Amino acid sequence: MTTQSTPTHADAAPVVGHITAGRPGVLGVFAWEVTKLAARARARWTLLVCLAAPVVLVVVLKGQQRPPKDSLFGRYIHESGWALPLLILGFAAQWVLPLLTALVAGDIFANEDQHGTWKTVLTRSASRAQLFWAKTLTAMAFALVVLVVLAASTMLSSVLIVGHQELVGLSGQLVPSATAARLVLASWATAAPPLLAFTALAILLSVRSRSPAVGIAAPVVIGMVMQLVGSLGGIEALRPLLLTTPFEAWHGLLVEHRFYGPLVSGAITSAVWCIVALTLAFTSLHRRDITEG
Amino acid sequence: MLRSNLTRTILSLAVVAVVVAALFVVQHRSGGSSITEARLERSLPTTFSHLYLQQADLLGRTGLTMKSLDARADCDKGGPTVANSGPGADWICLMTWNDPDVPLPDGSGKFELNVHSNDCYTAGGPSKLVGLVTIVDRRGREVPNPVFEFDGCFDPNGDDTPTGVTIVPPPVTAPTSADAR
Repeated sequence: MTTQSTPTHADAAPVVGHITAGRPGVLGVFAWEVTKLAARARARWTLLVCLAAPVVLVVVLKGQQRPPKDSLFGRYIHESGWALPLLILGFAAQWVLPLLTALVAGDIFANEDQHGTWKTVLTRSASRAQLFWAKTLTAMAFALVVLVVLAASTMLSSVLIVGHQELVGLSGQLVPSATAARLVLASWATAAPPLLAFTALAILLSVRSRSPAVGIAAPVVIGMVMQLVGSLGGIEALRPLLLTTPFEAWHGLLVEHRFYGPLVSGAITSAVWCIVALTLAFTSLHRRDITEG
Repeated sequence: MLRSNLTRTILSLAVVAVVVAALFVVQHRSGGSSITEARLERSLPTTFSHLYLQQADLLGRTGLTMKSLDARADCDKGGPTVANSGPGADWICLMTWNDPDVPLPDGSGKFELNVHSNDCYTAGGPSKLVGLVTIVDRRGREVPNPVFEFDGCFDPNGDDTPTGVTIVPPPVTAPTSADAR
């Protein structure tokens, strides 16, 4: 044991030396960004809303005499507690999820412009690249935390308030409660790739516009336009390119013979959007003349 | 500032170009929709049968199975002049199934489908054959009728070979405009 720990310590030594030399590393900057974010009232309020809103929504929906039949699973909200989380997922994907992530991602770069603090943060001797990746990581981590909190709160409140009856799937088949639980969880998880892509989009808009208002509002508007384009007939070949299509890929999990094609293509679409948006954002920030303010 | 505006303009122009190009490609591609007659004719009978069995269960009826029902559908979008593919609220599916207690006087039942571009549909059944919006179950409670109106989704990459099901529509429902030709 002692012989093993010595080389590990020796391996770590250069890193320690690196930090004392004044380079905090991406993780160091990331820790700072998380601390900054945690101190912001907006981040706390967002998480609190994610925690509380589903409970209110479930209670209100449970009290409805007429279930919202226009949305998938809306007609089954009184029959199974597993229908509600799927109804809410379908609704959240329309604009709620893009908004929740944009609240932080659309602001995390632009607020340095708003407060004129770019020069200050760059004198912390962290490079621009390190700052970029640290801020991006922070925004992505926040998006995932939001998704987890929202999913957990929605599922728990639905099961506690409505129950865990068997669910009627999208082929009319009866899904046993335990299977339904797994499928609902998986369905919420499939929202992660497009959510991260929306986060990247918000980062790009935040970096380029230098305005938190644009960074927060524009991704929501873009999401709604994509939703509209995706619902039109005749231009369905565009659907795979849209960032809102992957939000509907979970439908394949709820039919009798599950299909995963839309999940795969949705993951690819999300990855492409993510890479393009982050590349553009990175080059934009890298080339910027910050001394000018 | 000028430079930033320039790049922004170029970027937005590029986006517009890509969108226009994509639209162009789509316009010149025939039948690009994943929503087809064959996929609906495979999906609808399955969904209907599952729900019909649930209705039978609610009513306390026994002896019906997916196999004995043997539901089949023949779907058409917007009449003979419209291509049978793509989303729309004008899909009509004629369906046959075997229920000894519920004979089909017209030989089939007419279902109206609103098919959405996300490969899901909402189907409404003929209340004469499937019952009203609510039914009274075997314990005397009023419950929603599972087959009055229902949702279903199908695989956009699923089997698209024609099902070969042809159901002749009942003559009484033929509209006068059908003879206009």
